[in-house]
Amino acid sequence: MYRRLLASLLRWTLRLDVGINRVYPADFNPLYYTGGLSNLFLTILILSGLFLFFYYVPSYNEAYTTVQYISERVPYGQIIRGIHRYSADGFMIVILLHFFRNWFTERFRFSRDEPWISGMMLLVFAGFIGVTGYVLVWDQRAELLVVMTGNALAAIPGVGGWLRNLLFGGPGLTNLLLPRMLFLHVGPAVLLYVLLWWHYVRLRHPKVWPPAVWTLFSLGVVLLLSGLIPAASQPQASPTTPPRQLAVDWLFLLPYVSLKYLTPLWLIVLATVIIVYGLYIPYQLPETRAELGLRESGIAQVIDANCTGCELCYYDCPYNAIVMAPSPHPGVTKAAQARKLLAIVLESRCVECGICIGACPFEALELPHFLEQDVQAKVLAACRS
Amino acid sequence: MPELGPPPKSQSQSAPAPDVLARAAGPGAAARRPKIVGFLCDWAVSADGIVREDGTMRDLPNVTLIKVPCSGFIRPSWLEFALKNGADGTFVCGCPLGDCFNRLGNNLIQDRVTQMRRRLERQKIQPDRVGTIYYGLHEQEQFVAAVREFSDRVAQLPAPPPPPARRPAGVSPAKPSDGSPPGPTPAPEEP
Repeated sequence: MYRRLLASLLRWTLRLDVGINRVYPADFNPLYYTGGLSNLFLTILILSGLFLFFYYVPSYNEAYTTVQYISERVPYGQIIRGIHRYSADGFMIVILLHFFRNWFTERFRFSRDEPWISGMMLLVFAGFIGVTGYVLVWDQRAELLVVMTGNALAAIPGVGGWLRNLLFGGPGLTNLLLPRMLFLHVGPAVLLYVLLWWHYVRLRHPKVWPPAVWTLFSLGVVLLLSGLIPAASQPQASPTTPPRQLAVDWLFLLPYVSLKYLTPLWLIVLATVIIVYGLYIPYQLPETRAELGLRESGIAQVIDANCTGCELCYYDCPYNAIVMAPSPHPGVTKAAQARKLLAIVLESRCVECGICIGACPFEALELPHFLEQDVQAKVLAACRS
Repeated sequence: MPELGPPPKSQSQSAPAPDVLARAAGPGAAARRPKIVGFLCDWAVSADGIVREDGTMRDLPNVTLIKVPCSGFIRPSWLEFALKNGADGTFVCGCPLGDCFNRLGNNLIQDRVTQMRRRLERQKIQPDRVGTIYYGLHEQEQFVAAVREFSDRVAQLPAPPPPPARRPAGVSPAKPSDGSPPGPTPAPEEP
């Protein structure tokens, strides 16, 4: 059932690609660069966020005023605030595109679960940072968010009240609330870069940046939006007039909208289930290669005698599965005798794609169950038939 | 909006337009069926329904497909090996450029084939006998059309001169009386 659903989703994803490739050259297909685009939006967010950080005061009485000051008095403040606001939306959109695309094209298979899991964490933290950003503005929506989050957390049996006090610095609206929110906005943003390191550590030559034309396009859209639809606060939060209506942002505040239909406890259970399921996706299909109709090629093996330490496989392995170590002894062939380095395959990272075999000009790497002579025998059989 | 042309032309990048060669070689040349060896990535075009039991293609019996784990797995020397052992043309089929399942495989093989074409030129082998084709999982029709186009193009190439690279075993100047075939591990020399 899940298998069939995934197959049809893959079919539609590839059909969409074919359609886009008809319009753009394949090198510029934006769907091939969703990862790079999210990195671009993250960079815009960090730079514009630094600008806003210079002016923002996280105190109960001044937060709203400083945000208004940025919008009205600081030169280009309104534009920068709009850029921060709309590139956050763009960030979330391209992250979700990246998530769904890699899910449907099954790019979590074999030893690629670590990029998947770090990516799930990046997604969760990006959503969390978005919500804390809405609180920092400290308008009526922010107050409502705090109340709703507090109620939802308090609904957890046992640790609920403790969790709420940990997050907000006490029951109700306290002076600790906004400094804490500011930290929870900026701190996880730094954490995103730590997670990104984890996301990239198994990738060589990751596509961290989109082509220039998409960079300019994204910048242009964000600038245009912040000029045309200025990011604005709602009326200031005040305890005397508690807000009734939540101004909806469908990207970040979807869980709060669903509180209309769910009890807080159910929402928390549902969110936990969704996140845990997301982390479980790579392990949901424990199909072996035989079940997939693929041969068992085996982990790539270095032939010690032939390796010259030239590093070509090290540069070409897309998963960083090959490391160069100081050679403990010279090789056997003439070219390998003067080597300083020796290639070593990290088995936990190898996906048996064989790209290192194509990279090696010295026949020093092989897939143990699909040797060069097997390929040559097949070629000879094909030529003779 | 600029018209980019049909997909086969825009995607098989490393070969000139077929009609130019068709005019050069004349109409009768296509009748000769060239022997083609193709390397097909497991994650690119699905082989279901287009390949027979023995690996030849259902629509093009002169084309044999060899499945490999990734297009980047292929050593250019294997393409050369096929050409020197009787194949008239070889091609590699990978996922669409930029969308390799293994991230970089098809870009790498594209680079390697480009380098290899220069090497073939120096060996007096027409570089158009080597091609690259990039199609995704479900683009079987386009793939078959592209292979047919490649096959026709190879058929119209003039026959290569007898290759001097592979010396007949009996007339080797190094060992005139030795009948052992040339290979990477030479027979031990006699005193």
